[in-house]
Amino acid sequence: PPCGPVENKKVLYGRQPYPDNYVDRRFLAELRRNVGVQQLRYWSVAREAGLVGQQVSCVAVFVALWSSLDGGALPPAALLWGGLLAALLGYGLHGALGGGTGGRTRWADLQSAAIFLAFTFGFSPVLKTLTESVSTDTVYAMSALMLLAHLLFFPYARPSPPGSLSLNAALFGSVCLASRLPGALHAFAMLTWALLLFALWPCLLQRLRDRAPRAFPWAAALVSLAGVGGLSGLWPGGSVLLLLTLLALTLACPLLLVRLQRHKDNIHGPWDEAEIREDLSRFLD
Amino acid sequence: CGVLLTTATFAPPTPALVRSHRATARAAGSGRHRICMVSDFFYPNMGGVESHIYQLSQCLVEQGHKVVIATHAYGDRRGVRYLTRGLKVYYLPLQVMYNQSTSTTCFHSLPLLRCVFVRERITVVHAHSSFSAMAHDALFHAKTMGLNTVFTDHSLFGFADVSSVLTNKLLTVSLCDTNHIICVSYTSKENTVLRAGLDPEIVSVIPNAVDPTEFTPDPGRRDDSKITVVVVSRLVYRKGIDLLGGIIPELCAKHPDLCFLIGGEGPKRIVLEEVREKYQLHDRVRLLGALDHKDVRDVLVQGHIFLNTSLTEAFCMAIVEGASCGLQVVSTCVGGIPEVLPDEMVTLCEPTVRSLCDGLEIVIARQRSGSVPSPASIHRRVETLYTWRNVAERTEKVYNRVSGQEVLSLDRRLTRLTSHCGSVAGAIFAFIAVLNYLFLLLLQWLIPDDVIDIAIDGSGPQSCWTQTSSKKGKRKANQIL
Repeated sequence: PPCGPVENKKVLYGRQPYPDNYVDRRFLAELRRNVGVQQLRYWSVAREAGLVGQQVSCVAVFVALWSSLDGGALPPAALLWGGLLAALLGYGLHGALGGGTGGRTRWADLQSAAIFLAFTFGFSPVLKTLTESVSTDTVYAMSALMLLAHLLFFPYARPSPPGSLSLNAALFGSVCLASRLPGALHAFAMLTWALLLFALWPCLLQRLRDRAPRAFPWAAALVSLAGVGGLSGLWPGGSVLLLLTLLALTLACPLLLVRLQRHKDNIHGPWDEAEIREDLSRFLD
Repeated sequence: CGVLLTTATFAPPTPALVRSHRATARAAGSGRHRICMVSDFFYPNMGGVESHIYQLSQCLVEQGHKVVIATHAYGDRRGVRYLTRGLKVYYLPLQVMYNQSTSTTCFHSLPLLRCVFVRERITVVHAHSSFSAMAHDALFHAKTMGLNTVFTDHSLFGFADVSSVLTNKLLTVSLCDTNHIICVSYTSKENTVLRAGLDPEIVSVIPNAVDPTEFTPDPGRRDDSKITVVVVSRLVYRKGIDLLGGIIPELCAKHPDLCFLIGGEGPKRIVLEEVREKYQLHDRVRLLGALDHKDVRDVLVQGHIFLNTSLTEAFCMAIVEGASCGLQVVSTCVGGIPEVLPDEMVTLCEPTVRSLCDGLEIVIARQRSGSVPSPASIHRRVETLYTWRNVAERTEKVYNRVSGQEVLSLDRRLTRLTSHCGSVAGAIFAFIAVLNYLFLLLLQWLIPDDVIDIAIDGSGPQSCWTQTSSKKGKRKANQIL
């Protein structure tokens, strides 16, 4: 039958001069492949992957601090002074980078900091004895799990403000660890550092990424080095493991992703479900 | 026939009788088929698939084929029911999992379905809807039992998300050794061929149809002092109800004599209620809630314009029903919709509020100027476009083609599965196919085919339905004489 000048129109009404299973040359003519796929560049992917690496390192730094505090290698007062210094430096940098304060004055920032420090300091004896009835193994397992959850649910696409699930998991893990330290001041120092590392640092990093894109990879590299360095004193095998993980995360995984791009085969056609792109909530607000 | 009925019901027929029965059936089966339609979706559930199966079966029975339908039990509707023209429906006691679909384990339905297939001496198994687990199970078992298989796909699917990747894989497995596939539009055919990796030659396009006697115009029922837009659809995201929520305030502000009549129920009803509340349109937007199939026509005839805002649609019966009632149709141009109605009967728009409003404005202006064809003339035109007889004739051709084909033997089926469905899924399902075959052997050993009663035909060439009535007629005639 497929001969003669009769064109097989793509319509369902009316009889077609062809059998129902006839396949004409326009079959799948409207198929489109990989519409709007952006080609990834290796170094830009690696840069973004640096964020994942530095977050893993953050956890390593935290664990290293806790360990040296627990072992007595680091007095809590030194840690507190260091924390204050880091906080002031970071706050200065955050201000210097600009980009608006979100309507907050310095006075409001100081107030928040004072309230937080006062409460944590006041409650640190409570925190210290919080998990006394729980076995140490359970506490360690729980904090490991929570720090892992922090890494898994961290909003890597936009770290500021930190995701509530990941932040809560990290703080819960920190409280667990802090409660195993020898004194109340230790617990207080540990918790302030948890806040610095898991709540404030991502905000600063985000601002760095927006405002100083050149400095961002260096900051990520610095944190990564700090993690590896901090861990090497406690557990050399662990630091080697961390180094390998960081290399895999920031260098090998992006390479794999860029390589796999070649195999991307997205198909689009008239059968696709239409997307509503406009904002329809304007009719309801 | 009465005698035959008692033997078959109360005493197992002797193997010899059964064998002769089967032999005659084979011989008579040259042009007539014994078809089993299988789907989770059938009456009393309402929808496009349900009415498709019913109408197609009725027309096939009319053509002299034997048709039985197998579905799962709906509430207390279980066992065997007879519908018009002796159409037999098996409501099988299978557990419903989600959205009226049964679960699939690839095995648990084999004993029941085998029993139906053997009792009814089925030659072709015709499964409907890719959402129906029972349909896929039936295809799987039918191939194990060496029966010819046909599958009708009623819906479109994407390729991008995880759930479609998984369902498309299952479809590939299910269709790779199915004899023939039917799709309801060209777009649907392209979609199914891509999803299941099929040879397009074994996929036929046979559209749905609408019973024109059910959807007749009645211009007296509508209020010509205003213009009424009718929407009949489930109120869900895929039907574009969010777009409708944008169109209503836009157009109501411009046209004070415009009303909306919305039939259907669903989770997006809240959107329409909020719009109605915010713009104070209670007297102009009426939400009718869920409609029975029989009430749809009465709602349609109250309107001037039928609006369809679907975001995806394989065929869209609703716009044909609207046109059949003589309404002007405005629809989004998605999926198979542009193939359904001739350009002069439908105004196609992009799936955006702007484009749909523009399309509606054009039709409203046309309606006001009176330059639209009369409902009766539109109805007469639609009447000729789609008929179930035509659908049945074309489906019959598929059955004729399929019954000439051989069903793959187990070893070739395994080769096909492993070569066609990828190494992992292919190996898994080849293994399941072997298990299914062993299960069938076990069942055949427990209850041999010879022991299973042959059912009395309700339809088809040996239907006792028509025979008894004709005999009774003769007897009556004799008595009168």
